[in-house]
This record gives sequence, C-alpha cells and structure tokens, in this order.
Amino acid sequence: MADGEIAIGIDLGTSYSCVSIIENGQPVVIPNEWGERTHASVVSFLEDGTVLVGNSAKRNIITNADNTVYSAKRLIGRFFFSDEVKKAQAVMPYKIIEGENNSVRIQIRENVYSLPEISALVLKEMKSIVENYLGHEVKKAVVTVPAYFNDNQRQATKDAGRIAGLEVLRILNEPTAAALAYGFGKDITQKIAVYDLGGGTFDISILEIGKDVFEVLSTAGDTYLGGDDFDDRIMTWLAEDFLKRHGIDLRLNKYCLQMLKEASERAKIDVGRDAVAKIKVEGICQDPTGKVMDLEATLTEAEFNRMVMDLVQRTFKVCDEALQSARMTASDLDAIILVGGPTRLPIIRTSVKHYFQKEPMAGIDPDEVVAMGAAIQAGSLMESKSDHYLLDVTPLTLRVGTVGGYTDKIIDKNTPIPIERSKSYTTNRDGQDKVKIRIYQGESNKASECELLGEFEFSGFRIAYRGEVRIEVTFEIDTNGIVHVTAADVETGQKTTTTIRLSSGLTEEMIRAAQAKTAATQLARGAAA
Amino acid sequence: MDETFEIEAAALAQVLDELDYFQILKIGQGASPSEIKSAYYRESRAYHPDRFYQLKNAELKESIGRIYKRINEAYVCLRDDVKRAKYLGDISGPERQRKLRFVEASEQELKKDKEQEIGTTPQGRKFFMAGLQDMAAQRFAAAERNFKMALTYEPNNPNYKSKRDEAGKLIKNDMTIR
Repeated sequence: MADGEIAIGIDLGTSYSCVSIIENGQPVVIPNEWGERTHASVVSFLEDGTVLVGNSAKRNIITNADNTVYSAKRLIGRFFFSDEVKKAQAVMPYKIIEGENNSVRIQIRENVYSLPEISALVLKEMKSIVENYLGHEVKKAVVTVPAYFNDNQRQATKDAGRIAGLEVLRILNEPTAAALAYGFGKDITQKIAVYDLGGGTFDISILEIGKDVFEVLSTAGDTYLGGDDFDDRIMTWLAEDFLKRHGIDLRLNKYCLQMLKEASERAKIDVGRDAVAKIKVEGICQDPTGKVMDLEATLTEAEFNRMVMDLVQRTFKVCDEALQSARMTASDLDAIILVGGPTRLPIIRTSVKHYFQKEPMAGIDPDEVVAMGAAIQAGSLMESKSDHYLLDVTPLTLRVGTVGGYTDKIIDKNTPIPIERSKSYTTNRDGQDKVKIRIYQGESNKASECELLGEFEFSGFRIAYRGEVRIEVTFEIDTNGIVHVTAADVETGQKTTTTIRLSSGLTEEMIRAAQAKTAATQLARGAAA
Repeated sequence: MDETFEIEAAALAQVLDELDYFQILKIGQGASPSEIKSAYYRESRAYHPDRFYQLKNAELKESIGRIYKRINEAYVCLRDDVKRAKYLGDISGPERQRKLRFVEASEQELKKDKEQEIGTTPQGRKFFMAGLQDMAAQRFAAAERNFKMALTYEPNNPNYKSKRDEAGKLIKNDMTIR
C-alpha cells in the first residue's frame, strides 16, 4: 500500500450504512464511538445549523420530522416526474421539491439540498467514524450500490462521494461485494447466488467463484422492493384495524404516520425473532373529544407471513430471471448467501431454502458483509497488483432512442464490463451541424418504458450535404457501470463536442459548490440519547 | 510491472483492430466452451484494469483499458453458440476485415432485411408470394410472370430479380426435357 494510505469500504444502504477497512489483511467493521456497527442512513438538520447522522438522527424522525431525511437512496438519481418520487412525496414528512432539469431537491427550512448532498452527509459520517478510529484523515473509498441501479443512480452516488470529500475508487455492486467477502482467501471453486434483500431494494446475482476470479454470470433486481415494503404491510394492517375500531385514519397525519411506521418496523423485527409481536404505541393520537388514544395490537407470525407472502414471491420471480440469464437451474448452485437485514426473517430463510433446495450459508452477517467486501476491493485497488479479479456485468440493456418513441439495443444486460460499442449516424439535412441522441436503460423497446439517461448533442463536425457526414457514436460502460458517450467524425476522425442536454445529474459547478457546503457542515458528535 | 508486459500491451493495442476474437483470446477457432472460459480468465488476469489502477503511465493505462474492453467483447460473442457461429461465418468470408467486430443486426435492421426479402410494397409482395407458390408447384412459366409483375412494383428488388432469373432458367430446362 502506498505511503500507508488507506481506502475504506462503505455500504451506503437505504436504511442503514456500514463502514469497513482492512486490518492485518482482514476486513473489519469499524464501530462508532458508542460501539454501534451499523448506522441509520438518516440525516437530521438541527436548529443550530449542525447535522446529526445515524442512529441518533433516526430518533428525530418523529420529534424533528420536517427536518429529518431518511430513505434518500430511494430518491437518488431519479427524475422528479418518476413514480417513486410521487410515492415518496405522499409519505415522507420532509419536503420534496422540483429542481432544475426535472431533478429532485429536498427543502429543509430555507435551504435546498440535492439528493447526492444528503447522501454525502451519510458518507461524511462514515468517513469520520474511520478517522476517529484511526486518528488520521482518509480520502479514498469504494462505495456500494444495488446491482440493479441504473446509470443515473450510480453517477449520483459517485457524486455523493465526491461531495463528501472522498475520491471514489469504485462504485461496486452490493451482491458482488458480498460474494467477494464470502470467497476472499478461501480458495474455493463454486457457483453461488447472492440473495440481497435490503431496506428498499432487492438484488440477486449469480456468480462463479474460482481461485482468484469472481465472475458475475447474471444479475437481476427490483429497485422498488425491500424491507420498507414489509413495514408498509404491517402499517396498513394496523391503520385499517384502528380505523375500523375508532373511525380515525392514522395515515392522514404525518406525525401519527411516523409513529405508526416506527411501530411497524419494530413489530417486523420482533415477529421475526419471537414469532409474535406485541405492539403498543401510547398517545398515538387524540379522538375528536380530545381524549388521548393508544394503539395496541398483537401480530402473530402466521398473520405476518400472510401479509408479505406476495412480496416474498416477487423476489423469486426475479431469481428465476437471473438463473435463466445465467443458463442455470437452482440445483447447479453450490451455495446461497443472504444479505440485508430483512433476510433475518424466518419467512425469508425458509422460502429461500425451499426455492433453492439448499440451506443458506450460516455465519455471514447480512448487515456487515457488503461493507467488508467493499473494504477488500478498496484494499486491492490501492495495491499495485491485485490477487483477485472481479468480472462484473451491466444489469440493464443500454438503448438509444429511434423514431416514433422506440429504442434500439446497444449493449445487452448481463454483458461483462468494461465494454464499448459504436454505432454510426448520418446527417439527414443539408448543412446539419448537430446530431442529437437520447439514451435509455431498460428491457422494453418502447422508450416510455425505459429509464431515460440523458440527451446528448454532438457538434463541431464538417458541414456538408445530407448523408455526407457520418458520425460514429461510441457508448462505453466503465467498471463502475457508468455510461460514457463520445462521438467522432468517421472520415476525419475528429472528435466532436458533446453536450449533455438533459440529465438528472449535477454539473461540475454544482458539485464543487456542494463540496464546499458539505465541508463546512458540522456533524454533531455526542449521542442524542 | 515488467517491461516485457509493457511492450506486449503496447504492441497489442496497436494491432487490436486487425485481430479477430479468437486471436484476441489467443485460442483456435475450434475452441470448446471451457477453453473459451479459461482463456477469458487467463486474459483477465493479465489485462483486467483493476490490476493497473495505480499505474501512472496514462497512455499505457488507456491501451490496457482498450484491450480489456475488446477481451470482454470477444468473450460475449464466443461464449454464445449462436453468435459464435454467425461470427465465424462473418470472418471466414470476403468481408472479414469489416466484420472483425461482431454486430448483431438491430431489431429494425432485421425487420428491414425481412422486408427486402419479400418486398416493401403490398402489390409487389402479393405477386412475389404467388410466384413462390407457382415455383413450388413447378409452374415455372406462371412463376416467371408473377415475378416480372412483382418487379414492376419494385424494379430494384434483388430478390425478385434472382427469382425471375431462376424461374426463367427452369422454363428452358423444362422445355429441353420435353
């Protein structure tokens, strides 16, 4: 390692984050000063201008609801008009507003933040946990994302790292990181599946592990499916019951909604551990006469399983897809690795066992394994020679818009990265000086059913009669899964000027301003408890 | 990193566009799937960009990136039996130089090809299909008439022309036999 400089591995989760470094050749999770090993991905903006991040911030979701941001990962890299943003606006107590270029912003008092800025504060907290532990500054990191994240979401996460003052060495897929932590130093040859059910997203990756090679054969996922959805089911059940009994809909008040949400998450954990959950929230609301009311209920395991069965089944549809892409059946697999907090639930463990006809691997901490894998990759990128190779893939088909709202495939999903592909275009008007293309990611040939990545405009080529100028556009997906588009005049080889016309991302200028703002933000230390 | 590797990588980057996928993966055209996979792993060990993350020489780093992207491209094509068969045909033909990089016909191109085959005008297609039926029933004179009719709607359709010529020849053969 160069000059004792180290790079950290960060699992930036929807609900919880975790940070790890390599010590004596092994990945270790670094706890904060109160011994906590995972940290709520919650950012609470206090009255005095300081910011609280982590488990102490989570306690503020109820008391400081308007100024406390959670589940930001559900919004990062999305356009304001997307369904997910509309859904979040309905349930989140914090204010979600529209920024320029259809982007999403969060308003806290008189300040406006982009999503990468919010995530940057979580990353900054992870960075300072390690700095406290080591006693010196760290500047480099590998940050993980769901394998099924698209280009916009990856780019926004990378921007978040930069805003936090980190050089992001790699955006690494969470299941790949987990596989790396599992196979690291083991010298095994296996085909494995990583079943990663997080707070907000579900990923499945099928890998082949060799002595020094980790090859991802396929990946599939659902970025709208996670533990939060399980909480929502309990919440709906509690709210409907309360409505029936007392004629009051708790969901109509954002304050009650947060208490309900908190109680639901606790009930999910309790029912998973004890097979039954006693739910009691004192003073959840007042009836019209001003009488304070309590919420009380008992959730049994059987009841809970019934509520979430369809969600569990949805994960296996995604598993089918991944196995099919890898041209395998469940019986070809040697091991199943479970990742993410919700995989502790007995319903998940038994269903996974039933689907794969195999007991999931024991002894892997589903909350920490991703951060550990990120630390291993960070360590290996810092060394001049690496003793293992990650052969990862792009999760979504890259497409280019054509006439009539259709798209054409450029790079198939599950193609190993880095990869590039070129396509040539001719001008169709005399004297044309610009060529515009739109690129998308998704599995439909209809543009409206795919995610728009951006609109690119190429200019600075020869001006001639129509059809005389050919522009070769090169689409590249790098090792981070991030898309780059460049173009050149075929005849002269002259590179054209590329302008991004439409994008959900931040400009260089915005990133630099955010860096300064984030660097000046004081993270409140000292437990709120 | 040793000097031999540096020279090798620089040289490979130079000739990258002249090599076919078998040459990129350093395997024979008859390689088995497992040989393809181990070749891919071997080349990944040598050229995976992660190994060169800290490399200061930007030009060499760029070359290695280019080589590795081509290794991935080769693997994607050769591990798939259907793509591999088509590719092998492409690079064994006269247009080898132009087809060293596998390009799947896009959905639209495929549709276009199909249209070119049977025609782009409804009338042309109608006479052409009728001609094909006559051919199958060995009514060659009728077939030739139908193909000629089809050509009046699409005078430049190469498929129509070749079918007309084929029918014409068969009429002559038919007469000599009689």
